[in-house]
Amino acid sequence: MRKRFREGVAKRLRLKDTWVVWFVLGMVMMNYPFLSIFNRPVLPFGLPLLYLYLLTGWFVSICTVYLFSRAARKENEKRDRH
Amino acid sequence: MLTANLVWGTALLYIALLFLVAYYGDQRQKEGRSITANPLVYSLSITVYATSWTYYGSVGKAATTGIDFLPIYLGPTLTAFSWWFFLKKIVRISKENNITSIADFISSRYGSSQVLGALITVITLTGIMPYIALQLRAVSTSFTIITGTRDFGLPLPESLATISPHPGLFSAIVLSLFSAIFGAKHLGAAERHEGMVAAIALESVVKLVAFLTVGIIITYVFFDGVGDIFYRLKEHSPADLARLSTLGSGNENSYLSWFSLLTLSMSAVMLLPRQFQVMVLENADERHLNSAAWAFPAYMFLMNIFVMPIAAAGMLMTGTNAGADYFVLTLPLKAGHHWLALLAFLGGFSASAGMVMVESVAVSTMFLNHVLMPVVVRLKPRSWFSFLLLNLKRVGIILVIFLGYLYQSIVGESYMLANMGLISFSAAIQFAPALIGGLYWPRGNKAGAIGGLALGFAVWCYTMLFPSIIHAGHWHSDILTYGPFGIELLKPQALFGLKLDPWSHTLFWSMFFNISAYLHLSIIFHQGEKEKEQVEKFVHVFEPADGTPQWETKRLSKPVTIVQFVNLMSKFIGEGPAYAAISDYLGDREIDGKGGVSEFELPNLKRFVEKTLAGSLGGAAAGAVVESFLSDIGSRMESVYDIFSTVRTSRDQSREALFVRLRASEIMSRSQELDIIMQDLLTLLLREFKLDLAVIRLLNDRGMLEVRCFKGEGGDAITGEDRQVEIDTHVGEAFLGRRTEFFNDTTYITKPIAKEIFNREGIKSFAHIPIASEGAPPVGILSVFSRSIVGLFTEQFVELLESLAGQLAQAVGIVREREAREQERRQKEAAQLENARVTRDLELAKQIQLSLLPERPPEVLGISIACRCTPATHVGGDYYDFFQRTEDQVDTVMADVSGHSVGAALIMVETRSVLRTQMQATRAPREVLRVLNELLYHDLTRAELFITMFCGKYDGTTHTFSYANAGHTRPLLYREGKWEELDAEGLILGVEMDVLFEQKEVSLAPGDLLFIYTDGIIEAEGKNGELFGVERLTATLTRLLDREPEGIVEEVMAEVTAYTSPAPLQDDISMVVVKVTDGKEPSNPPRPREKGQKPGTPSPPH
Repeated sequence: MRKRFREGVAKRLRLKDTWVVWFVLGMVMMNYPFLSIFNRPVLPFGLPLLYLYLLTGWFVSICTVYLFSRAARKENEKRDRH
Repeated sequence: MLTANLVWGTALLYIALLFLVAYYGDQRQKEGRSITANPLVYSLSITVYATSWTYYGSVGKAATTGIDFLPIYLGPTLTAFSWWFFLKKIVRISKENNITSIADFISSRYGSSQVLGALITVITLTGIMPYIALQLRAVSTSFTIITGTRDFGLPLPESLATISPHPGLFSAIVLSLFSAIFGAKHLGAAERHEGMVAAIALESVVKLVAFLTVGIIITYVFFDGVGDIFYRLKEHSPADLARLSTLGSGNENSYLSWFSLLTLSMSAVMLLPRQFQVMVLENADERHLNSAAWAFPAYMFLMNIFVMPIAAAGMLMTGTNAGADYFVLTLPLKAGHHWLALLAFLGGFSASAGMVMVESVAVSTMFLNHVLMPVVVRLKPRSWFSFLLLNLKRVGIILVIFLGYLYQSIVGESYMLANMGLISFSAAIQFAPALIGGLYWPRGNKAGAIGGLALGFAVWCYTMLFPSIIHAGHWHSDILTYGPFGIELLKPQALFGLKLDPWSHTLFWSMFFNISAYLHLSIIFHQGEKEKEQVEKFVHVFEPADGTPQWETKRLSKPVTIVQFVNLMSKFIGEGPAYAAISDYLGDREIDGKGGVSEFELPNLKRFVEKTLAGSLGGAAAGAVVESFLSDIGSRMESVYDIFSTVRTSRDQSREALFVRLRASEIMSRSQELDIIMQDLLTLLLREFKLDLAVIRLLNDRGMLEVRCFKGEGGDAITGEDRQVEIDTHVGEAFLGRRTEFFNDTTYITKPIAKEIFNREGIKSFAHIPIASEGAPPVGILSVFSRSIVGLFTEQFVELLESLAGQLAQAVGIVREREAREQERRQKEAAQLENARVTRDLELAKQIQLSLLPERPPEVLGISIACRCTPATHVGGDYYDFFQRTEDQVDTVMADVSGHSVGAALIMVETRSVLRTQMQATRAPREVLRVLNELLYHDLTRAELFITMFCGKYDGTTHTFSYANAGHTRPLLYREGKWEELDAEGLILGVEMDVLFEQKEVSLAPGDLLFIYTDGIIEAEGKNGELFGVERLTATLTRLLDREPEGIVEEVMAEVTAYTSPAPLQDDISMVVVKVTDGKEPSNPPRPREKGQKPGTPSPPH
């Protein structure tokens, strides 16, 4: 079950469409009006909220691209083997 | 403060280390063991994106406008999502087309336009100036800050110092030397610069480590962590914290400017020349993009994580945000951490040096290929060109850096670092429409790209560059406040009354004009021929070839040899690389006797040469070089004649070709007559294609290629004569070589006879196609000629003609086979007829011959005679005769002509005539033989035949039998109870002219029996191969002594036939039996001799 799920995710991640969707999603989430939600001078965990939001979003993006590239690399290896 | 010498020395040591690393990288590249061809180094080299701007300027921006320093790094992270398909496409195209720079990339897409390349280069040169200036200023300012002295602390004379009031000069000199040495090691710009990349990667590590170290120490040593800094700032100045940590507090810090910066950075990370250089050109493997897509954003993340804390800390420590650009340096200095300041300085120096090095190399490549090269290629290529070009490239690098220095001198300190960088970003984004459109929009064309870029660039100059210069205060003008000539609508920073922050303002207007012009001009104008070709290579680079051949639509009007191309390449890239490239290309391709590749392959070869040169000169210049080279030798690239109207649109066989094939098959199957097939086929060819003459020659029995059929006008000189199968003629060459000979332009024909004929006939192009079935030798040649069209024979057309010739060959084969069978049948019939006639003739001859023998033996007193001749074949050479002198005197002759041929029979007839004449006179037997020998000698010698003959004379009055023998089988005589052979000396007739014959005489008594015969009896062969023999004969005769002669003949015949049975007689058998009776009356009643009795069938006894 878990393996099937992981394979399914990897397969979706290999699609060009998924990349484009995430790209657009990133564009939206890092622009107005999304930003305005976090645009407040408060310091949760001692960090400015907007700063925290952006850093978190950035980190999540990096992790996502990492997953993408892992999926693509596996695909490459598979193709090389065949 | 640190001493200038310490900083100076550390910097020099660091530069020496970079040299070592770069040198090592180059060495490893030469050995083929790359240290840079891995994802880690690739990712690190892309981080050349992080320059002094990031290193110093981010903190500055964070301290002044706050959080909007971030979009510059968030943008690239977002683009990383597109790398896997967008950047990969660019990388693939660049590798396949030997792209040398972004200018080359874009101009190649739009038909290798030199104008476009030059325009992009100008935009880049102008656009990059502020960016380079930023780096130079960062280096010199940081040096000044850390040492407290200007100009690297060199003890300069006062006069010089006044000439160079700006400290950036020395940074410019150091950095340009470093770049010129590493960036221009070789000319092949499309090749990877591994040494440079290795140095960049090291610098990237140094700047990250330095920045993180500074950030950690400031955050955790000077303060108690990030939270502490922000809390303190909140306490110290809540307004500042709010301003820095939120958006929308001012014009330069709004959601819109956020969006603009995000967009600018997204395009800059792909489009800046140095980014293109490291991401695309220095990419060793497409798969590295995978790792870089997350490693690069991660690096940026780490690089920026302490920017905000440092900025806040700086504001806390200094109480202001003035000089925030250099907080990274000043804070450690302020806290007394000199070693940390030195490390920070090194990090900043790394960031600047890396950027300047890559940027100047990339831009100088563009400058060389798109500005200088179009001039250079107009000159005649010389062997020292490659040397010249390399040095021009070095000069270009220095030029680029000094342009930056110039800008820095003019603008001075009036801009913050980050804002100077953004001026360049705004310039770089001008490439985006042409590049993205070029990759995904097939309609995008050169006019659109040039128009868009020119307009966008103009807007950028007017709204961004121009104000920046005015801003510096060198040029006093109120144009910024009141607009040119007082027209407020045209105010550079509020064009048409639009009031935005400068980045959004420029971005909006430049993109508006750029994209509009690109789209509209692309739609209005058509794409050129060359552009269409490039669109295929760019837009559809990932579409796999579908297996069907793409027909070549171009041809070279005059063939060019491989050597000519190699010589051309040698002049630009050197001899070694030229030969290496060509041998790589040729591989297992076929080379003909003249040192060229096939005509259909030539356009490909030309493209390959172009591509190879493009790796050094850029696409546009390479195209121009090859074009001018071709025109020098009188050749050019032209479209093939579009014989099938669909040749351009259809990848597969065109409908016309299929139609013709179909019609040809119909023709072949409709008729059995070769002449009709050929006529129809030629008519079809002439009607469907623009041919003027078509001829079919077939190989005839004499080994000549005979004109069997032709259609079309004129051409007497061509159709008038048959051709020998010789290599001297094109027809012969096609026949012997078993491959199509064609000339698309008879101007370049070399065979003198052919040239003369074609001149006379006005033939422009022709093809000779061998008529041959698969694998079989050709049976003829199909020739087609055109008087009007040069370049008629495309690969597709020749293929069609070959297939038609193949069909024709089968038809010829079938017809020939049928004809051969027919002839064989007729010959057989004729032979049978002839045979029957001969048999009948021979039968007739046999009848005649038998009738020449005496009908019955004569009746002679005292003896009774019986005789028989049975020829083995139709005619024979046996002969016997009787000549009765008186009633009791008779001469008898038995002869055997050698052989059983008709010749023998004829000789026998002659012998008979001669004998009959000679027997008119009464002669002794020996006399008869002598005379006969004399008379027949010549005829026998000529016929190479001879005769044995026995001649005897019975005289009833004396009861004697005198005889002579010319080599005949000795007759048997039964006398006095025993058998004896009658022998007499004598030579066979026809051997010698003068022969003496012995004559003997025996007396006969009643009851004696004389048996004269030919050797056919005793030489009859039995089943076991034993001959019948004299003994068996005498035994038989002994048994038959009391029988009548006729009965003896029958019995002997029956005996011999039984002996040889079942085989037929091999030889003629003749015998004469003479039995001496005592009475006066002839004892044997006359009996008609059996005629035509078949040999081997014994007569019934009686």
